[in-house]
Formats: sequence, C-alpha cells, structure tokens
Amino acid sequence: MLNILVCVKQIPDIDLVKMDPETGNLVRAGVPTLTNPLDLNALEAAVQVKERFGGEITLITMGPPMAESTLRECLAVGGDEAVLITGRPFGGADTLSTSYTIVKAAEMEGKFDLIFCGKESQDGATGQMASQLAERFDAAQISCCFSIEDVADGKIRATRTLEHGREIVEATLPCLVTVEKDNFYGRLPNLEAYLAAKTAPITTYTENNIDGLDPAKIGVPGSGTIVPKIYPPELPEPGQMIRTGSVKSDVGRLIELLTDKGSL
Amino acid sequence: MQKSDYKNMWVYIEHDGKTAAPVGLELCCELRRLCDVTGDKLYAVILGELPAAETDKVRDCGVDGIIQVRGTGYEYFNTDAYANAFTVLSRKYNPSAIFVGGTINGRDFAPRFAVQLDTGCTSDAMELEYDPATGDIQFIEPAVGGKIMAVITVPELRPQVGTIRPGTFKYAPAGRKAEIELIEEEIDFDPAAIRCRHLDFIPDEMDPELDIANADCIVCVGNGLKDSEHLERYRVLARLLGGKIGCTRPLYDRGILPYKLQIGQSGVMVKTKLYISFGVSGAVNHTAGVDADMFVAVDKNPDAQIFNYCDYGIVGDMDEVCDEMIAQLKARQG
Repeated sequence: MLNILVCVKQIPDIDLVKMDPETGNLVRAGVPTLTNPLDLNALEAAVQVKERFGGEITLITMGPPMAESTLRECLAVGGDEAVLITGRPFGGADTLSTSYTIVKAAEMEGKFDLIFCGKESQDGATGQMASQLAERFDAAQISCCFSIEDVADGKIRATRTLEHGREIVEATLPCLVTVEKDNFYGRLPNLEAYLAAKTAPITTYTENNIDGLDPAKIGVPGSGTIVPKIYPPELPEPGQMIRTGSVKSDVGRLIELLTDKGSL
Repeated sequence: MQKSDYKNMWVYIEHDGKTAAPVGLELCCELRRLCDVTGDKLYAVILGELPAAETDKVRDCGVDGIIQVRGTGYEYFNTDAYANAFTVLSRKYNPSAIFVGGTINGRDFAPRFAVQLDTGCTSDAMELEYDPATGDIQFIEPAVGGKIMAVITVPELRPQVGTIRPGTFKYAPAGRKAEIELIEEEIDFDPAAIRCRHLDFIPDEMDPELDIANADCIVCVGNGLKDSEHLERYRVLARLLGGKIGCTRPLYDRGILPYKLQIGQSGVMVKTKLYISFGVSGAVNHTAGVDADMFVAVDKNPDAQIFNYCDYGIVGDMDEVCDEMIAQLKARQG
C-alpha cells in the first residue's frame, strides 16, 4: 500500500489584501482565507493514485491554528490523516526553513512513497517549496506532471509538461510530484465525508514535540532570505482617457486615433 | 561564514545540446551590468556539450569566464545530476551569486541545490540592484498578486541563488572581452543514480493561435470576462484586426483559456504593435509581460491600474465596447 503525503497551504485571499499607505505593511486582518487552489489539484492527483493503486493519504500543513480548516476541507475531499504544524517560532519562515520544518514533522508520521504538492502558492508564489521538500525528503522529483501512467514496483511513470512539449519520465519512489491541473481538477466532497471531516482528529505538532528539531533551522532564524522592504509599484502616468459621452462615439474616436497613429 | 570569501557571479546556460535558451543569454547581459557595479567577475556555466557557435553567443554577452562541465549524467536534464554539479562547483569556487533561468527545469533544480548548499533562494525578480553597505544583491519583485513590490535579500548566506523568468531582461550583448577564462571541470554523475529518468519527448503540435509572443495585434481578455460564453466576440475582434487573443492569469485559472495564452511574467512575454486589453486590472505581473507600440485599455473601473499603462483608455462595459468596435471596424472595411 502506498503511503501518500499531500502538502497544502492556507492563504489569504490576495485580491482582498491591502497595503497600509501609512505604514507600508500588508493588512491581512479580516481578510478571508482559502486553500491554495493549486494544492487542490495536488490533492486530486493523490486521490486518483489512491483510487487506482491503493494507499493512504496524509495531509500536512504549516500555519496558524486556523489552518486547521484547510485540513478539514481537504479531509472531506480525500485525506485519511491530517497533520498541523503550528507555533509562533515557525512564523516568518521562508522556503528554506519551511521545507525543513515540514519534513521533520512528516518524518514523525513515517516514510512516504509519494509526496504531492501544488506548483506554487498564490500568495508567496516562489514555486520553490516542492523542490526543496524533495531535496530534504531525499526523493526523486517530477515537476509539472500532466498525467500519471503507472505506479508499480517502486517506480512511477508519468508525463511532464514542458515549454514546448511533453516529457515522459520514470522515477523511483520515494518521489515528489507537482501537478498541472489539466487532468487533476479538484472534486467536491460528498456530504458524508464533509460531516466526518468536521470532527476528524488532527495531529498537531509544535516546536516542542517534533523529534530532533533544530530551533536554529526554523522560522526566521532558519530562513535564507529576508524581505527588508516593500513598497507600492511605481505607476506610469495614466494614458489619455476617451470620454465622449457614449460607447459609440468613444469607439469612433478611438478608431480615429489609432488610424492617425498608424496602428490600424 | 564570511560573505567576503564569496566572489563572482554565475549564470547557468540552459541548452538542449543544439541551442542555448535565450534566458541564459539575457541573464548574462543583465549580470554584466551588475558585475560592473559590484566588481565581481561574470562566469557562464555550461553543463554538457554545446556547439561552438552557441558558446560564441555566450562569449558575446561580456562574460569574464566560462565554466565548462563535462562528464556523465548531463545528456538530458535531470534534477539529480544538474543540482549536484552546481553544488560541487559552488563548494569549490565559492561564487557570491548563482542565477538560473526560471524555466520549468530551471525552477525544478535551482531551489534544490540551494538546499544542498544551505543557502537562500529567490524567484522571479524583475530588477536586480546592489547594496554596497551590505554587499547583498537586492532581488526586487512583485508580490501579493502585484499589489506591492518586495525587496528580497540573502543577508547572511552564500551563494545568493536566484531564478529569473525568461524575457525579464533584455538580450543586449555588451560585446566580447579580450580575454575570457576557460575553466574545464569533469564531474561525473553515475547515470544509475539518476532517480527520475528521461524516457521520451513528444513535441507540441504547432498551433499558430497559441503562438502569440510576436503577434502584430493582441486582444487580451482579463478577469472582467463574465464567462466563457462571452469570449467569442473577442476572437471575432482579434480576427478583424488580424491579431490573436491572449489572457491574464485568472482566465487560465478559471479554465477558460490555455496557459500558452497567459500573458505576463509567469506566462508568455509579448512584443506587439497593437495591444487592446478588456477587463484587465493591470497587475504588475501582467503588464511586465507586455511590450506594445500602442496600448489600449478598456475596463469598467475608472480607477483600474491598467489605465496607467495604456496610451488610450475607455471606461465602459467590456462586451459593449468590443461589440461596438466590431461593428465600426466591419463598417469601415465595408
């Protein structure tokens, strides 16, 4: 039976995050959260593998206590176990320390044959986590997986999407896979699973109960990068607005202008 | 670790054995500028064999040296051998920074050798600056969907690793240096130890509608689009203008148009004569991918950021404006 891990992340709805013009800080208070959409494609890939080849799915996330709701959402879709890593010392982590923390916590749950991740998160959007997790799991890696052909005999055969075509690869297990959504659109939970997920037990790890966790490698101290400054993008001066009073005359004026400038 | 022990900047030259990918050359051009500021030497790193004419293109980008790696394991891209090569090289030569093109494979292996080297990795910077006070590179990039620009640094660790998207920097060769150092390294990676093996490659069938990078005219549809049923009129307009349609990221996320039509930093960078956007808000991530002689924006929100990037703007319902443009263009064509 395959032991499958799916890494998920709760993110703020970035459309609703604003920057405080006075302080330059991001205002996240009161902003609704969601499960990173690409992680749901990763979960779907894991569920398909489980259905085809058998296995058990463990979900793992790191975040504030409320990230539990993301785990429950994913449990309802197809997870068997769920792990939450939470604690103030983990805050402010970049991908170097987050990948360290997740792998140390995952090792508490055993060894995994397949690890599925979204390609990137909508908020941080570095796209680095999967590769760094793979390295720390000492696993093979198939990024941008388009389809999974077979999982057998300690190997996975899959097709990757590249810029100008598709590559067919075969990797040994353990293997970390990031997925393209083409064949892995997320499914909705059924009512029974949804209700069961509401009360399902969740394993929680903090800085105090992960074996061999090096405090120097987590959170801010364990991060390789920092963000010393953020600022609003400099915007160019606005272009010429065409306001003639009606759509018809606006478009007429635009076509005149484009014709004069040689653009039409 | 002493930061001052780490000198010089490296650019990875991605290639398929025949040609060098443009992004490696673009990075050499940009890093030439930065190295002239920092006083570092610029080295291009080539794994496996690249034809001489292609290596000459690298030389023309003003590099001070080339590190040519030969050995087993580089025939096809694979994370294991490629990450290992950079780890071995970096431990031997202690570069201050390593830059890798943010292609699918570049983004696959660069974060991985950053972990092997226990150092910081950044992705998708749009500008690179040098802070002489700290000796750190400032990787400047849009964040939170383009709402802010973030300065990212690697303050204590070395090398500073960065992946940069293709098309971010211009290919403008500075010219060949009189002397270019050649460092040849033999790093064998046991092919049996490659855990993800290449079996086959199937090139995409060429679909001209999906090849928009240099289209004369692009009609770009953004998240203002109500649903896919409203899309056809934009195709009609594009055809009337002899152009093609493109989209912003939300339309790809919504499953309405394919990834190859996504314009912007994380999609395709376009160079076009006439660009007309409908229902596009104007996030930096998108506008960074547009190089247009004439830029027209249509959106219902008068405060939309897209109007800061346009030559001409119309505030209105995108579908209505599109339909009117079709009507008037058809009338004009008789």
